[in-house]
Amino acid sequence: MAASIGDRSVVSTTPVLEAREVSVHFGGVRAVEGVTLRLEPGLIHGIIGPNGSGKSTLIGAITRLTPLTRGQLLFDGEPYQGIRPSAMAGLGVARTFQTVRLLPDLNVRDNIQLGADAEASAKTRPRPGWYQRLRPSVSPAVADAIRRTGLEGWEDYYPSELSYGTQRRVEIARAISMNPRLLLLDEPTAGMNQSERAEISRLLRDLRDEGLCQLLVEHDVQMMLDTCDYVFAMNFGELIAEGTPADVVQNPLVQEAYLGRKGRQHA
Amino acid sequence: MIAFYDTNLVLIQATLSGLVLALAIQVPLRMGVFSFAGAGSYGIGAYLSAILVLRQGMPGPVAIAVAVLVAAVIGLLLGLLIFKLNGLYLAMATVAFDLIISVIAINGGDLTGASTGLYGVLTDFTTGQMFALTVLVVGLVALSERGRMRRRVDAVRDDPELAASLGINVRRYRLVAFVVSGALGGLAGGMNVMVRTAIGPLDIGFGLIVLALTMIVVGGSRSWKGAVIGAVIFTWLPDVLAVIGEWQELVYGVIVAVAAVFLPRGLYGVIVDLTKWLGRIRRKRRTGGAEQPVDAPESVEPERVELDNTLSREQGGEVARMAAQSEVS
Amino acid sequence: MQDLVNVVTLGSIYLLFALGMSITWGTIDILNFGHGSIFMFSTFSAYLVLAETSLPLLPVVLIGVLVGAAMSLLIQVVAFEQILKRAKDKRTAEMQILIGGIGVAIIPLAIAQHQTKSNPFGLSESSYQVGTWVIGDIRITSIAALTVVVAVLLWAATAIWLKRSRHGLALRAIGVDAETAALMGIDRRRLALVTMAASGGMAGLSGVLFTYSLGAITPESGDTLLVKAFACIILGGVGSMLGVAFGAYFLAAAETVVLTQTSGSWVEAVSFGLIFLVLLLRPAGVFGRKEVRRT
Repeated sequence: MAASIGDRSVVSTTPVLEAREVSVHFGGVRAVEGVTLRLEPGLIHGIIGPNGSGKSTLIGAITRLTPLTRGQLLFDGEPYQGIRPSAMAGLGVARTFQTVRLLPDLNVRDNIQLGADAEASAKTRPRPGWYQRLRPSVSPAVADAIRRTGLEGWEDYYPSELSYGTQRRVEIARAISMNPRLLLLDEPTAGMNQSERAEISRLLRDLRDEGLCQLLVEHDVQMMLDTCDYVFAMNFGELIAEGTPADVVQNPLVQEAYLGRKGRQHA
Repeated sequence: MIAFYDTNLVLIQATLSGLVLALAIQVPLRMGVFSFAGAGSYGIGAYLSAILVLRQGMPGPVAIAVAVLVAAVIGLLLGLLIFKLNGLYLAMATVAFDLIISVIAINGGDLTGASTGLYGVLTDFTTGQMFALTVLVVGLVALSERGRMRRRVDAVRDDPELAASLGINVRRYRLVAFVVSGALGGLAGGMNVMVRTAIGPLDIGFGLIVLALTMIVVGGSRSWKGAVIGAVIFTWLPDVLAVIGEWQELVYGVIVAVAAVFLPRGLYGVIVDLTKWLGRIRRKRRTGGAEQPVDAPESVEPERVELDNTLSREQGGEVARMAAQSEVS
Repeated sequence: MQDLVNVVTLGSIYLLFALGMSITWGTIDILNFGHGSIFMFSTFSAYLVLAETSLPLLPVVLIGVLVGAAMSLLIQVVAFEQILKRAKDKRTAEMQILIGGIGVAIIPLAIAQHQTKSNPFGLSESSYQVGTWVIGDIRITSIAALTVVVAVLLWAATAIWLKRSRHGLALRAIGVDAETAALMGIDRRRLALVTMAASGGMAGLSGVLFTYSLGAITPESGDTLLVKAFACIILGGVGSMLGVAFGAYFLAAAETVVLTQTSGSWVEAVSFGLIFLVLLLRPAGVFGRKEVRRT
């Protein structure tokens, strides 16, 4: 599998998600301009770019939180730019946010269970009976997500009692417990130490090997090189390069735009 | 027991209708919908059921059922009209709604009895039925504070954008809050007028909003238990405080002010915090003093010197919030 | 013609009352639900003093203003500052200030209700007697004329104060961007206190003038005015000085029309209906600046 990664000409499957000529303008500001990208099944995709390059706006557009100015969005080849943000979960799209977004009054288990709840209510799957909805129960998906993110023992803690890195792991667990078809992670390892980063990287690659398509916004070049299969580079709201992480890092445009500082450090 | 019941019948009835009224304000509050419309629904329920009994000769329970239904529908219409409003603006719009209801009551001529109101609403509705209905309602509300419902309500209140990403239709929840508030308010008003046999414009004015709010603020805004605590305190306190007699209103005021400023989650919130705290201590003891179950991660909150976008994060959040609300149409 | 005089008088009362609410809401983000209570209780204090000794107009007004300012400061320090210190975000703070204001307002109301047995009270013990001028078929009372003059002057002074003075500039800076204002070295706490005191003083002033011209008020009078003032402010647009004046006189005109054209007491519904209409059709108000509006 790894051999064909990045060689887009041979990929003929329907992409999980496709954005065609997507533009997002805020008043006169062109936050995203004419971006086209395909997210293929079973790959980890990365978006890099300096601050203000439009990465987060693009994620917002893909998840329907930010209205498109122009362009088309397709999921499994079907246009979806007319749906509500809350219908994204029904398509099988899970996401984390740039900042930690845990509910302060719920413990770790319940915070993660929220993801499994969404999975249970997605239209394609059988709906739980009313008695199941009312019973305080823990789904197998939650137990699984807790195990995979190494959160055993933390279940009864509240977010305010956790370190920042652990809080981020809870968010990833919540997204995983949705049993998604596409996982969008906005700087998942920000605030984590090296060993935690390595663990998350391993987790994401495991999920990839199980066929889960992912899109990462990542600042840390090492993390991106270690984890991603295919990388999009953005600047000034436009896509300036794409390809394997190694290729993109070598791209002069990218080096100039983004890696000028950081690239040399890692070289 | 029987003697207690007989001598305190009026207080028991007031506690029950006060509790349901408090829930009518609390349920939307718990969903992050700052609506006082429940007080207006109380007026609708009280007047409508009284009119149905007096003019149509309907049996009490039937009149209440009709009143609840109508109040719920009006709640829904009001919700469709104003649920896009936020915070203070929503609060004030619903206050205006409540006050309009009382102006209508004053100007209703013979139908509403104008400034004297309606009296002589005699039916076969018993305190027993009132009790049963209240227990049923409290039970339903309690169920919404458990399991999946609880998690979703928390998400809708604390982080609508996150809720949307978890597949929760925030708009629907906010509308449901209006409907439930309308039905509960209507029920409280209907039941109260049946047992008290009278209703007047002064019973449903600004004072009613303050009463419902005080119960929740002092009892606690996040759980039905808080509403129970509040309803009991504010119905029985005057009796208990007979010592201070004529200054009871002032004591009320001080209690409410102190709770509003220093205990934003009310007395029940204090109990919850204590339980959490005890749980933490117990956990610590079990793990032999170690704060954390596995190797303590050394990660720290990253310094966010750089913002990620052309838009500041605040603006980005604003845009996202707008989008989450535009989910709406 | 007489109607026009009535509109201007009533509008001036509304303006005086709403002005105080408007400056705290528009600049330091405090929608003070104790404002009606301050209005009532400062007048009540004057009434109590008058029960002891008869005084002319000026000292009575002074008592109203001072009591109002003192109450407002007290509420700010004891309640609102504490809430702001504890609240986790702006949305919660807003809500808690609203609820806290309602809670605090119960105390003066309870005292006044207890003392008066909820009966109306007035300032008739004052040595100042309201005179009436008749010009053609128009009747103007001296206190009405005074109210109009004071309202307009105070409004203009406040507008200029907010626009010109360093103090006003700082306040507006806080209203637009609290963080930047803090960086500029603006002492928020002191400014908030000054603003609250000014606001309370205006509440006391409007209470005394209102009571002189009406004869008497009940302890509950403040609550209705509170909702009416809210209507004036959002009609004009939160934070707009021109807006609050427009709102006050517009509401007075609308109420007078309803009063003269309909029977019964639908007058009260005008302000409530206006709130609804404005929020639905033009939430930023007639003169609202979008960027200052908060939701």
